[in-house]
Amino acid sequence: MDDQAPDYPPKQRQFFSPLRAGLRRFIFFGSVLIVNIAATYWLFDLFTRFGVHRAYVLILVIFFLLNGLLVLGSFHALFGAWDMIWGRRRAARIMKLAEKAGDAPLSHRFAVVMPVYNEDSIRFCARIEAMYRSIEATGHLDSFDFFILSDTRDLDLWVLEETAWTNLCRKLGAFGKIYYRRRIKNENRKAGNIGDFVRTWGGGYEGMVVLDADSLMDGGDILKMTRVMEAYPNLGILQTPPKLIRGSSTFTRLQQFAMRLYGPLFIRGLNHWQLGGGSYWGHNALIRVKPFSDFCELPALPGREPFGGAILSHDFVEAALMVSEGWEVWLAWDIEGTYEEAPPTLIDHLKRDRRWCQGNLQHLWLIFARKLPLTVRMHLFMGIMAYLASPLWFLFLVLGTWVAWDRAGSGLSYLPYDGTLVDRWLGIDGSTQSIILTAVIFGLLFLPKILALLGALIIPKIRRSFGGGIPLIFGTVLETIVSVLLAPCVMAAHTLMVIGIVLGHAVGWGNQNRETDGTGWGEAFSVHLIPTLLGGLWTAIAWHVGPTYTAWMSPILLGLLLSIPVSVITSKVRYGKALARHRILATPEELDPPEVLRLADLAHASVDPALKANDSGRYGVIAAVVDPYVNAVHVSLLEVNEISAEQEELIEKCLTGGPAGISKQEMSELLYLSPAMLKLHRAVWLRPAGGIHSVWTSAVESYRRRIDSGAVEEPV
Amino acid sequence: MGLPHHPLETLRPLTETELSEWEEAYAAVEAYLQALRLRNRLLVAELVRGILWRASARGAMEPGVPARMLAMEETLSEIAEWTQEILGEPLEGRRLAARGRLALLLADMPGKWQGVFLTPKPWPPEFTESMGQSYLAAGPQFASLTMLPKPLELNALGSGAAQWWETMDRRPIVRRMFVIFLLSIVAATLWFIFFE
Repeated sequence: MDDQAPDYPPKQRQFFSPLRAGLRRFIFFGSVLIVNIAATYWLFDLFTRFGVHRAYVLILVIFFLLNGLLVLGSFHALFGAWDMIWGRRRAARIMKLAEKAGDAPLSHRFAVVMPVYNEDSIRFCARIEAMYRSIEATGHLDSFDFFILSDTRDLDLWVLEETAWTNLCRKLGAFGKIYYRRRIKNENRKAGNIGDFVRTWGGGYEGMVVLDADSLMDGGDILKMTRVMEAYPNLGILQTPPKLIRGSSTFTRLQQFAMRLYGPLFIRGLNHWQLGGGSYWGHNALIRVKPFSDFCELPALPGREPFGGAILSHDFVEAALMVSEGWEVWLAWDIEGTYEEAPPTLIDHLKRDRRWCQGNLQHLWLIFARKLPLTVRMHLFMGIMAYLASPLWFLFLVLGTWVAWDRAGSGLSYLPYDGTLVDRWLGIDGSTQSIILTAVIFGLLFLPKILALLGALIIPKIRRSFGGGIPLIFGTVLETIVSVLLAPCVMAAHTLMVIGIVLGHAVGWGNQNRETDGTGWGEAFSVHLIPTLLGGLWTAIAWHVGPTYTAWMSPILLGLLLSIPVSVITSKVRYGKALARHRILATPEELDPPEVLRLADLAHASVDPALKANDSGRYGVIAAVVDPYVNAVHVSLLEVNEISAEQEELIEKCLTGGPAGISKQEMSELLYLSPAMLKLHRAVWLRPAGGIHSVWTSAVESYRRRIDSGAVEEPV
Repeated sequence: MGLPHHPLETLRPLTETELSEWEEAYAAVEAYLQALRLRNRLLVAELVRGILWRASARGAMEPGVPARMLAMEETLSEIAEWTQEILGEPLEGRRLAARGRLALLLADMPGKWQGVFLTPKPWPPEFTESMGQSYLAAGPQFASLTMLPKPLELNALGSGAAQWWETMDRRPIVRRMFVIFLLSIVAATLWFIFFE
């Protein structure tokens, strides 16, 4: 067979019957549509009682969209609960494929790839180490290779990555098993990084487990996934639902608690209708390499960024391309050992959302693409609406305030007439109907939380895993209150993001903050100033309309007014730890860490005093020049090349002016030249103190310490 | 190691400048050996003494060359030659230096073999074997695949929108006119809602 020919899925009986899949989708989306139409009609019916207002048509249109999303979310939980109760045997078949394969050696090779971009190398190496040991424990390590795919632009962090990787391989005896590659040009961001791997080494592997720098997966589960891929040749992508772990701030703990408690319902609900037409979330997934290389090189979108150009949110599109070519994309809902971390503060969360927002809005183009199946369009639509819903909600509230203002000014009473369809059917007055409709909407909003809490309280094993019934209830109440307070602030932030993108402001590629001591008041003030001012203005308007209206609007107004203190308080690790002491917002992984988490906590192979580049005075680039071992490692990873006369001058400039005396671009150029790095190393050791910059002499002198059994004493 | 038999009587008086220069040379060599993570003080002291004796002998023949430079050149060349002898690889000088140091690290010289460092043959076979196997491979054998983007196939509506969008990107005047048109529609709508 021609290796270059596109790889189409083998023709065989589909794992999920198309008839059953179609029926499930029809029932699911039909139910959502019916409930949404009924609720919208009910609101229309109420509006006809209140007389004519210019805003009603727009309100009804927005209500239809927003309520549709709300019903969609709630029905995911509802169908998820249904699936959990009645569909267990059928759904569990996904992983049974792995069990059927027994314990025979894998017949293909697989890669575990971790793209990194300006990350803490010790932390991501600890995760690699844990996964390596975890797979080793299964006895199938020979079938796996690990790749650290660096796109790091920070020169110091580049050197730290090299030393951490070398130490990791030395300690694990994993040279030739764990590889490190850094791209010179990081074109097309993470998608380009993975693509570069596929183009260079992809032919050697049947599948690749794609991770994020904060991902962690259990070796046994990785093995199961590879067995599923081997057993079912039509499977293109197997996505796992990662659990959030290691939250220390209140904000992260709230997120991880919510994801852990409510997440399984949504995941099951999602799987109920998507089946083989699932989506890819960018990490913690197994991808079949050949079809990925055939179909998943991303096309450029029409026009320039932010709406056009390179696709930012590549994952959804890659899954869409796979599904449209006949490959199946599954959600491995029953894989347990799959984890990731969350941004530590609201501000970090919003920074990440800024990137995702632009990426998801770009998907508007794909809605108009040919050949995409319904499930793919639904995923794209839900992704787009995750951000467009905020400006719509904002507009809905503004229009609602306008109607309330006019009504307060008109002095008219409610219920000018009765006898509408709903009125005749229900036989109750309009005010009561309004309250019931509001209660229905709130019921839909809180239904997933209620279902998840009830399920956890009823099942002893789940209840205990969250620390018991009381902490579970406290946690749910606290999470609900804080999420209600956070929602308006997020709405305002998303609205501003969407406006910014519409006005043509593209986003850069920033590294993600994984850990912080909390948000400062100054930073929170600058980020949340507009929502706070908006809250103040809105409160004044609401109060002018009347106290009752203000009370109705209070959850929104409080969320906006308190956005600064809520952002600061939820970012503090000490409050998160205080809650953890009382098991509030505790998760099963926190109370009883799984084996791979324990391994990651104990992992320290990447740290070795014999090879380190993070000492004070000789950090990163300075260590790469001065330290004999760091220099040797760095040079050994470079290609053999020669230096020009200009580069000789640059070396001299670097020696006399230090790294700060040349630009980052020039320093980067030197770091890529092995003769330059060797020359610098030799010069800083040979030349007398007066002939080079003090940063080099200080670094050289810093070695004059007595090193006994790894302990470092004060300088002599 | 050094010259243990060297009699003290042969020492000649040194000037303050010479003392200062050789002090700097001593510090540099000691620092380099400590940078190689040699932990044993006696070993470091002996090696420094030996290297400095050799540098001093060279200094007598090369007056004007700073003592530190002489001493460090001796240090680096000694290490490079010694590692080349162990590795038995014909490498170009500069690459050899890095290869030698890397081999020392990966063979765990600082942890297991500091007593062997810079000693003459014979070396323990385990040491020479681990030195010889020490190399870094950033990736396995290339096994390339092609990845070519396929143009996005848009439906009629999407194609029309894409053409319009690209036209606006190419021609700012069209973009401006379009924005003015949109704003006019918004203004007209607002006027209708509030004043009509």
